[in-house]
Amino acid sequence: MNSLRAMWTVFAKELKDALRDRRTLMVVFVTSVALGPLVLVMLSALIDKFERRAEAREIVAVGMAGAPTLRNFLERQTYVIKPAPTDWEARLRDSKLGDPVVIVGADFEDQLAHGQPARIQLVYSSANASAQRGVGRIERLLQAFDQEQATLRLVARGVAPGLLGVSAVDEHDIADNAARAAQLTNLLPYFVLMAVVYGALNAALDTTAGERERGSLEPLLATPAARGALVVGKWGAVFSVGLLIAVLACVSFIPAQGLLRNESLAALFRFGWVEAAWFIGLLAPLAAALSALMMAIAIRCKTTKEAQANNMVLTLAVSLMPLAGMFNQEGESAWNFWVPAMAQTTLMNRVLKGAPIGLADVAPSLAVCAALTVLALTFVSRQLARRAIQ
Amino acid sequence: MIAMNDLRKQFSSGRGRKARTVLAVDGLTLQARDGAITGLLGPNGAGKTTSLRMLVGLVTPDSGSVVVDGIDMRTDPQAVRARLGVLSDARGLYPRLSARENIVYHGRLHGVPADEAQARCEHLARLLEMESLLDRRTEGFSQGERMKTALARALVHDPANIVLDEPTNGLDVVATRALRAALRVLRDETGKCIVFSTHIMQEVERLCDRVVVVAHGRHVAEGSVASLCELAGCADFEDAFVRLAFSPEAAPR
Repeated sequence: MNSLRAMWTVFAKELKDALRDRRTLMVVFVTSVALGPLVLVMLSALIDKFERRAEAREIVAVGMAGAPTLRNFLERQTYVIKPAPTDWEARLRDSKLGDPVVIVGADFEDQLAHGQPARIQLVYSSANASAQRGVGRIERLLQAFDQEQATLRLVARGVAPGLLGVSAVDEHDIADNAARAAQLTNLLPYFVLMAVVYGALNAALDTTAGERERGSLEPLLATPAARGALVVGKWGAVFSVGLLIAVLACVSFIPAQGLLRNESLAALFRFGWVEAAWFIGLLAPLAAALSALMMAIAIRCKTTKEAQANNMVLTLAVSLMPLAGMFNQEGESAWNFWVPAMAQTTLMNRVLKGAPIGLADVAPSLAVCAALTVLALTFVSRQLARRAIQ
Repeated sequence: MIAMNDLRKQFSSGRGRKARTVLAVDGLTLQARDGAITGLLGPNGAGKTTSLRMLVGLVTPDSGSVVVDGIDMRTDPQAVRARLGVLSDARGLYPRLSARENIVYHGRLHGVPADEAQARCEHLARLLEMESLLDRRTEGFSQGERMKTALARALVHDPANIVLDEPTNGLDVVATRALRAALRVLRDETGKCIVFSTHIMQEVERLCDRVVVVAHGRHVAEGSVASLCELAGCADFEDAFVRLAFSPEAAPR
């Protein structure tokens, strides 16, 4: 009972102390809570730009005046032909021109009439992402022109056009809306994961290395409160701050959806209270383990500065986990669920895809996080007395 | 009542060839009565801080015992800590908390109920003349203000025994005088057992009822200031101390 009261006293004090550190909280808030929605909005603006360009049905061309047949075809496809600016090559190189350029030779019509291959050049820069995206569209368009001309020639010679179609390809995209959106939103778990790390970091350092640096650890240990109670109380406060920031980060995506500029992305990206609750539930065990680990690393350091440098390794490891998931093209593997941070990222991505999550998927990471928390906290309470006097 | 019996502590550092051992405390014995101020006087590195840390239980002695009000540190360290008020060498405060919050926090950790801790805090603030400081955050406190807050924090649970490690370090003359006055009040009006370590002669001369001289971790001599002067055959206490602490008998073994 006595230990419980000490635990509560330490918890309440550390939480108050951490929440009074307004400047740090402000920085954490801006970097981890506001950044996610901001990136999401920027991403939507970018997608919007691409889609608008595709919808514009414009072709930038040089020498189209000498190719009335092609022009007629394109206009029948409701495309607008825009003459290329004189410095189109430089503009394409500098990404100032967002469309590939079609160059039609002066003797295009002549070659067409004589049954020779009529030359068309399609110029783009693979360093210019926007122009690159338009290449496929224009290639398909030019192929359709080709097909039409060939069909006409065959018909003129009395050949059935059906003979030309050796195979018929029907494309089926089996990804549903949520899965398609997840391709864009797999950045989200990264932001909330880092929010947990940055949220808990300062409190973790302040309650361990900070106490040593200030010289307040020795007086604290001169009280009759059990060391385990002190450590658990401190950890509780660190965990709460980390979780608070995580909750804010998750919830911040809900209003951010209203700011999405792109309609199709807004329709695909469904992040409601249910998804936010899933995220928080998945992140809580990780926040517990990370808080304990950061404290264990920091208690060995004499100053918060040193502890911050040492904790960089952990921060880096956690930030690499979601990236590892992005680079991994083979999909989920069983071992993913055993690695902290990676398990949470994988599961959060499932939530975004709308895929089901079973107890068997959550259990490994839960067990690993619980074990890490207990081990790290035991280590901290063992170290406490030794480190107080060094 | 504090009794330290034949305490011994050796620290070792490094491994292999670099291994070094330092005998920090080598058979220190000290008895401190209630209603008296006992000074632990010794030069720098004499083992004063280590001895006091063993008294609080932050360092476990290799041999010897610590008994406070009849309770042995080895059997019930928490009960011993509950009976001690400690102003250690490290006097860190929490800068984002007010002086009052700092003091009450330690009171709560000593198991004092919240309202009682508040009342004790007010009482100590009057004793230490720091009422105006109570509701200020401790960030930016002067050395004297810090010492007063740390002392109030150490005394918040009204301990029967008070242990102070070089309490006047870094204090100006006004703050030192205020501290001395407070310690006299605690001794005379509430009959506390007070132990403090120092290397400053004047502190001992002006305050201590009894002095234990230590050198190289060992107990060299003890008695009142007058009896120590007599023992060393010097009229001046400083001369007496130098003779006792740096004599050939006090040299490291």
